[in-house]
Amino acid sequence: MNRSHLPTRLAASITLCLLANGLLPGCKPAGESKPPAPAKPRVALVMKSLANEFFLTMENGAKAHQQAHANDYDLLVNGIKDEIDVSRQIDLVEQMIAQKADAIVIAPADSKALIPVCKKARQNGIIIVNIDNKFDDAVLASSGVKFPFVGPDNRKGARAVGDFLARKLKPGDPVVIVGGAPNAFNGIQRQLGFEDAAKAAGLTVVSAQSGYWETEKASQVVAALITEHPDLKAVLCANDSMALGAVAALRGAGRLDQVQVVGYDNIAAVQQLLKDGKVLATADQHADQLAVFGIEYALDMLRNKTTPADRETPVDLVTAETLSGK
Amino acid sequence: MNHPARPRSEWRGVVADYLGLVIALGLLILAFSLSTRYFFSAETFRTLANQIPAAMLIATGMTYVLMIAEIDLSVGSVLGLCGAVAGVALTRWHWPLWAALGGALGAGGLCGAFNGLVSVRWRLPSFIVTLGMMEMARGGAHALTRSQTEYIGPAIEGIAGTTVGGLSLPFLLAVLVVVAAQTVLSRAVFGRHLVAVGANAEAARFSGIDPGAIKTLVFLISGLLVGVAAIIDTSRFQSANPNAGSGFELQAIAAVVIGGTSLMGGRGSVVRTLFGVLIIAVLNTGLATVGARDEIKRLVTGAVIVTAVIVDYYRRRLGERSTR
Repeated sequence: MNRSHLPTRLAASITLCLLANGLLPGCKPAGESKPPAPAKPRVALVMKSLANEFFLTMENGAKAHQQAHANDYDLLVNGIKDEIDVSRQIDLVEQMIAQKADAIVIAPADSKALIPVCKKARQNGIIIVNIDNKFDDAVLASSGVKFPFVGPDNRKGARAVGDFLARKLKPGDPVVIVGGAPNAFNGIQRQLGFEDAAKAAGLTVVSAQSGYWETEKASQVVAALITEHPDLKAVLCANDSMALGAVAALRGAGRLDQVQVVGYDNIAAVQQLLKDGKVLATADQHADQLAVFGIEYALDMLRNKTTPADRETPVDLVTAETLSGK
Repeated sequence: MNHPARPRSEWRGVVADYLGLVIALGLLILAFSLSTRYFFSAETFRTLANQIPAAMLIATGMTYVLMIAEIDLSVGSVLGLCGAVAGVALTRWHWPLWAALGGALGAGGLCGAFNGLVSVRWRLPSFIVTLGMMEMARGGAHALTRSQTEYIGPAIEGIAGTTVGGLSLPFLLAVLVVVAAQTVLSRAVFGRHLVAVGANAEAARFSGIDPGAIKTLVFLISGLLVGVAAIIDTSRFQSANPNAGSGFELQAIAAVVIGGTSLMGGRGSVVRTLFGVLIIAVLNTGLATVGARDEIKRLVTGAVIVTAVIVDYYRRRLGERSTR
């Protein structure tokens, strides 16, 4: 007799709902329960992996800014679980279109694949500001759209890190580059910046491989490379998570004293390593301000209805000296 | 309960079978609608309907696979591979659209057939064979695309972009596939054989069914559905990303399990899987609409999966007791 199922299943369904309800109030829904408030613009911040400290810093900076300017705009932050979850990020943009956000500030997980959906958002009258990872120029051109980019010049930043490293090395010294995900513009730019510096100082790049932004992957790559190149002098990593991996691999091989490591992003985890001299240098893109720059830019565009040009944000070289100077 | 007339109780059985899932889904929607005023809109549901066809197709294939007590861990990677085939065929090999889509479908079918044939021929657990395929297909996707996102552009947009009455072509196609798969399961001979093999392969063999053939066919179907899903996603994103579909296998299994299909085989329903897909999709969309933190999203999604399985345990126990 199937009717006997019903009470249990009802009870269970209610549990499910309570579970959702119980957890939701903690999520601070944006702009909730103040319906008559005169149209405050709603800015959606669509981030990459929130598991990565760099993006978490960005998110927290944005939230602090919103709290300081609570009367000016509402903020809705969403991210994806890891940096290669491109389709989920596309879904997120579609959801922001569905709920008619006024502006979307996006750090695209893929510099090409996110363009069609952002174009769709633009066609729905939503302002798009591109931060962190620049959209691919060729695809933008062929899609006939243009989104302002607010962010650092990754190539210049990586060049500065590479130049600092080069001063500790001799011309002809073999070095390797551990790049980011191969489909990410910022990773490509950083790699180019490292190559610029290597070329200028006459260093020999014996290998350039992708560590997919991750500690674990980078560690495997570096472990293999140091066996292959016993005379290696330096590892240039396109982000600090991978620099952590490189340090782990070098430590495992007992080569930490002979090989220099540089990174990018200045995450908290590398600061002790910088002070100890295990990592030579990194670059600080002021993550806490990156999203804020983008949000301010979007608010500007909403107010003035103009499309301003790209804006470059500062990148600073960080070394043991600059850290102790603070 | 004093009306033992068969049609009535059968109807009641169907209602009881789906009511729990319908209520769970309804309550989720209600919870989100109360949490934020931006959730409950036609636009939200239209967007949702356009996002889930690939998941619906993959989960449908996965339902069949789990029903014969096997598993297919390769679906996510095969999705990436099929998308890569379509993308590279269009942009680099300059194939016509139909050939590129055929290539994607063929790649899916081949991977599926490989999974089935290898695990049947050498009596290997499908867990291992599809785990291998998961790596091979992902490697293939990266090799084809040289690890770069292949941007295709409007050439492929038409498939996902076509709408009929506000609903996208892929969504209608996915609904059609779900209906067909459920009909086969509950009405066709193949469906009954599938259940028999899942419940007890040896017993099925003695009654003249070839479990190997059924198994191969099921994996082939799963692969082909992944191929269709890949075409849909590639069209929706207008690009082929070598990492597309990573983690899809777990999402698909979660959807099937929320729908109450047994991992032990022999019992399951495609329509109930559809509810599983919907519940996960509504959770994803709703949590994004309220701007929940990523860790909360994962906690809630995980908790819902476990809750659903516990609920299903009691539903089954009650069902067994009352039919005895």
